Amino acid sequence: MGTATGIIKALNSGVKHLAVKRFTLRYPEQKLKFVGDGYQFDPASGVAIAGLKGRHMLFHDHCTGCQLCSIACEGVAEAIAMVKVPDSWGQNKKAIMPQIDYGKCVFCGLCVDACPFYALYMSNDYELSSFTKEGLIYTPAQLQVKPQVQQDSELIIDKRGARHG
Amino acid sequence: MAEVIPTKEMPPGLQVENVDDRIMTLNVGPQHPGSGHMRIIVKIDGDYIVDADPDPGYVHRGEEKMAESRNYITNIPHLERPVIHDSCNILYPYVLGVEDLVGIEVPERAKYVRVIAAELNRCIYIQYWLAIYGIFLGHSTMFMWPAGDRELFIDLMEKISGARVTHAYFVPGGVRNDVPANFEDVCLRQVNYFEKRIKEYGDIFYDNPILKARTEDTGVLSREDAIRLGTTGSVLRASGVDYDVRVKEPYDVYDELDVHTNVLKAGDSYARSKVPWLDMLESCNIIRQALEKMPKSGSIRTKLKPNPKGGLDEVYRRVESGRGAAGCYIVSKEKPEPYRLKLSVGSFRNLIALPYLLKGEKLGNMPAVYWSLNYWPVEADR
Repeated sequence: MGTATGIIKALNSGVKHLAVKRFTLRYPEQKLKFVGDGYQFDPASGVAIAGLKGRHMLFHDHCTGCQLCSIACEGVAEAIAMVKVPDSWGQNKKAIMPQIDYGKCVFCGLCVDACPFYALYMSNDYELSSFTKEGLIYTPAQLQVKPQVQQDSELIIDKRGARHG
Repeated sequence: MAEVIPTKEMPPGLQVENVDDRIMTLNVGPQHPGSGHMRIIVKIDGDYIVDADPDPGYVHRGEEKMAESRNYITNIPHLERPVIHDSCNILYPYVLGVEDLVGIEVPERAKYVRVIAAELNRCIYIQYWLAIYGIFLGHSTMFMWPAGDRELFIDLMEKISGARVTHAYFVPGGVRNDVPANFEDVCLRQVNYFEKRIKEYGDIFYDNPILKARTEDTGVLSREDAIRLGTTGSVLRASGVDYDVRVKEPYDVYDELDVHTNVLKAGDSYARSKVPWLDMLESCNIIRQALEKMPKSGSIRTKLKPNPKGGLDEVYRRVESGRGAAGCYIVSKEKPEPYRLKLSVGSFRNLIALPYLLKGEKLGNMPAVYWSLNYWPVEADR
């Protein structure tokens, strides 16, 4: 193949893309759709359920304060600290629950795998940025809140190429 | 090092010894955008490189030492850090090794899921590598296209594992969670489209006469030298050596799949940059085969004890990562933590060829030669 034909071929393959829809996701306006409600773990079968590993969800009525999540995190990121909570629960006599520092968390989900009481899951919330370091530390009360996440865009593949819509 | 590196013929008239201030020493990196997190000390005579000394170690994190104080499960998020784009493949030898130490069997379906995840990850890594290779050579379209198409596979990995880059998906005994419902259809659709897209790279990049003029006959590594220097992966295959761990020492279910090794004979920068692209096409084939042969249901994880221990034993397993053979050596002394863990990675082995390849090249060809080695600075430092 000659140099001229090669360059024309290369140019042509680029020009063809003028007709193709843009692939870019317009992020703050569009947000991706995820599988399920986030990463969860079923201790009975020992297998997790697929989902996004985002901010944690803590169920106060299940947490016993056993510290297994904190122990699992010790070798990874040391992001989980057990703190006192004001209200007491029947199953949680010591009244301690995990508090998670998202400045340290690596979102590996090993704490969710460690929880034998269905108390700690991960949710689809991934927008956790904060102006202060303290703002990244989520208390048990904050972790209890179910996030409202906009999910309106997914990958579409058709004859005109792939795009987000 | 001196006797390891074979001698190479230099262009005539070049001065190797510094006699009358003709030789200039130039530090490329560690902040140079073209070097990554490393430094190459090059000595140049005019426009020609007469000596090159790579200086890695700027991002050394001591992952191997850290592994000695963590148990076999909490090591998982750490050991994938050296190559976050290829995290499944860098974790693969470790997981296989721990399975041998602890003595557990992996369910059949988990083996297929692992192969699919590993091949998806290989494509994600190569796309990222190719994007950087494109921008190194001033071809900005080749930066945009792979960086965009990489999203197709990142999306698939996000659906499987829940994370976009550091998946922490493989565990000793299988994988952490099953693939979501109707994953097979979505994966097949995206793989087929991806394959169509990467074939278009041929027209704009690999058959482009400008790229060929830039990379052909630069940094030629002969077959004998490639073997003698101990290179691996795409660098070795570009020099005409038919070697792929997936074929030679098949692990998991690679022996049941039809894996074709891409070998080119030229051994120059062009061949080295083309082999990963051919590998991506091969990965698409492997994923399609694995999706077809995968058992439709079944267990995906053999349950481990909470704190698994190995016996008085040692194990070495290796896999084919995006950059070549990646090995993991584990010594166990009846404790929940490994006594010693050593990663043997493709990046570091390929880096050894760099001083040899750069000698006698023009300085302008340095990025084309350097990044064609399929090198990832963080992985070499570990």
